[in-house]
Amino acid sequence: MPATQNSIKLVAGKSHPQLCESISKKLGLSLARVGAFQYTNKETAVAVGESVRDEDVYIIQTGCGENNINDFLMELLIIINACRIASARRITVVVPNFPYARQDKKDKSRAPITAKLIANLLQTAGCNHVITMDLHASQIQGFFRVPVDNLYAEPSVLRYIQEHYSKKDLIIVSPDAGGAKRVASIADKLDVNFALIHKERQKANEISRMVLVGDVTNKVCVLIDDMADTCGTLCKAADILMSNGAQKVIAMVTHGIFSSNAVEKLNKSKLDKIICTNSMPLDDKVTECPKLEVIDISPTLAEAIRRLHNGESVSYLFNNIPE
Amino acid sequence: MRDLVVLGGSSHPQLTRTICRNLTIEQGVVTSTKFSNGETSIEVQDSVREKDVFIVQSGCGDVNDNFIELLIMIAACKTASARRVTAVLPLFPYSRQPDVPHAASLTGAPSLATKKDHYTFDSAPGTPRPLSRNDTLTGIASENDSYPNAPPTLSLNTGASNGLGLLGKATINNMRPTAIERSQSANRIFTPRSIVTNSASTNIPTVDAYGKTESGYKQWIAQNGTLIANLLMTAGADRLITMDLHDPQFQGFFNIPVDNLYSRPLLKHYILDYIPNYQECVIVSPDSGGAKRAIAVADSLGCSFALIHKERRAKVAKAPPSTNATSTPMTTNPNAILSSSVAGFNSANPSMIATTMLVGDVKDKVCVLIDDLVDTSYTITRAAKLLKDQGATYVYALVTHGVFSGDAINRVNKSAIDKVITTNSVPQIERMRLLGSDKFEVLDVSRILAESIRRIHNGESVSMLFDHGW
Repeated sequence: MPATQNSIKLVAGKSHPQLCESISKKLGLSLARVGAFQYTNKETAVAVGESVRDEDVYIIQTGCGENNINDFLMELLIIINACRIASARRITVVVPNFPYARQDKKDKSRAPITAKLIANLLQTAGCNHVITMDLHASQIQGFFRVPVDNLYAEPSVLRYIQEHYSKKDLIIVSPDAGGAKRVASIADKLDVNFALIHKERQKANEISRMVLVGDVTNKVCVLIDDMADTCGTLCKAADILMSNGAQKVIAMVTHGIFSSNAVEKLNKSKLDKIICTNSMPLDDKVTECPKLEVIDISPTLAEAIRRLHNGESVSYLFNNIPE
Repeated sequence: MRDLVVLGGSSHPQLTRTICRNLTIEQGVVTSTKFSNGETSIEVQDSVREKDVFIVQSGCGDVNDNFIELLIMIAACKTASARRVTAVLPLFPYSRQPDVPHAASLTGAPSLATKKDHYTFDSAPGTPRPLSRNDTLTGIASENDSYPNAPPTLSLNTGASNGLGLLGKATINNMRPTAIERSQSANRIFTPRSIVTNSASTNIPTVDAYGKTESGYKQWIAQNGTLIANLLMTAGADRLITMDLHDPQFQGFFNIPVDNLYSRPLLKHYILDYIPNYQECVIVSPDSGGAKRAIAVADSLGCSFALIHKERRAKVAKAPPSTNATSTPMTTNPNAILSSSVAGFNSANPSMIATTMLVGDVKDKVCVLIDDLVDTSYTITRAAKLLKDQGATYVYALVTHGVFSGDAINRVNKSAIDKVITTNSVPQIERMRLLGSDKFEVLDVSRILAESIRRIHNGESVSMLFDHGW
């Protein structure tokens, strides 16, 4: 037992105000008076207007923004450091979408392992715990010396499928071999078949050739992936599935990055619908893309924060959605 | 030179090129691009195995982008088995941040969202200051509009608050929310369903002139120096070269060697060679913090010296002292001339008085303002105006790092400064174009940096550069 009672302090980064607000509503706590701003020389500064001494601090900041992902990252580091020098007892960063998660290996000579660098930077700044969601590679947890809770959007995805589609003509499809495991687990839980699309990639963000493994004739195909960035994969996968006789194709992804002209591509594509979580701000994209639907994951994050603060097990959240 | 690789970040490619030319080596090839989601991607094209790597990156432009890029480059070289990685930061990022709480009219750089169309040389720079809870709520609706361009947090608040600070009382009514908006906000406050009182993007508390919030907690701004030092070391830098650090104490934040070079010899040479009758001129420090730096130059040249002292304090309520809100010179001390301005927030709040005081005689003299860094240029333009008011004939401004953020170039152009001399520690080509070569001159620091790289690579002493430059 800690010597004195301490409480949760929720600190909001600027990357995703809506998510911060809905988490704070779920927890019934208001956000702490800690905020970041930028000077004219584009340096970030953080003002602390509330004591966090000996408190349990949770900083919510997601990796997003085509133009300012690095600004948000620096902001996060500075907020962590500010809370640390303000004598917070424990600092937990809540990063639904971990930035630079795809640069996780030395895939060619002299390539940086940026995900490892980010992990080191977060720890240097002073974070004691990390909560994230659907890490691109779960090995990134090993880049940290502090505990990492990798939550899954899977329960939310499962519930959505169960509520909206009948099991009869459903098939779950993985758009690449890497996601086969994730897809197999979902297909098992739903007790339906799954198919796989194999792709050959020559350059980042570009795909050359795709091959379908499995039968999708007259089926409703649910493509499942951890992130959708330029959406090239998803759109091509949808093309292949439709040309193989699929009834319709929907896509479910955890992190909807939708960079550059992804929205345009989706609108033109053969995808019937694309469903993603609100791990990143999507308001403007929802208005631009009628096919886009958003699942709220703030209950899961809020419950994880509550459980972590009270020292309860988080593993319940791996298979269930909190009410 | 064997085993020496110089790489350049995207902040200042031209400086990297000239450094390499001075070293007579080929610049190492690095491809720095952005993935479509905005993440920085680095590819080091040349082998760096067992090499002595120097990475040149200045803390300018998009500071955070450039800094993260530098960290990734350092990490990339480290994982590619470089023997030693030295970060060369001509302008050290985050080296200068105000250490005072950011209350309405206290000192400190204005935020990016500051209103830029209106300014005077007398007024203090507006600092970001959130409004009270009522105003916060009114702000939420319009905030989304400005989201992609302006930083979301303070765009609304500062728009209003800085506007007030800068324009003074005359325009208060224009900047205030209208009566209708006010009543709407009043309604929203009393809706019982909302537990959250402050929205995510407007959670910087209200502070009074002393930086205290409603609860009595004194708001403070985190100092980032140690963090930046730690991040550089975490990324794997083995050594650091920088120039004219704003706080020399920064060196102590590192556990690795930091070589702080000086541009003083360069500036001295400029005065000697290009200012006619330099013995007659007066070296002026625009604030007390830079006095030591300016005195060193004045002493070595045998020039006289003057100092501008800035003071800000809260106005004592209802009992205006003799210095209040007037530009009447003090008669007691002929050398100490006061010009003060009220940079009050509004009449209800306690106003702050910014007093600038010139110590020294500049009448009919050529003045040389010396400072290490010009950012918003409020300090230097105000100093120049004061000097001209006191009868200076010509005002030079010699600064090491010309950051000129926001609207600074415009302000310099309209100011009493006759000539700005700065160095290329940050890119200056665009400024040169805007100000013209008769008002703006750029000194080259690439030779000092190149020579220090050569000496460090060869294990020679660097201290000779401190006094003599190159």
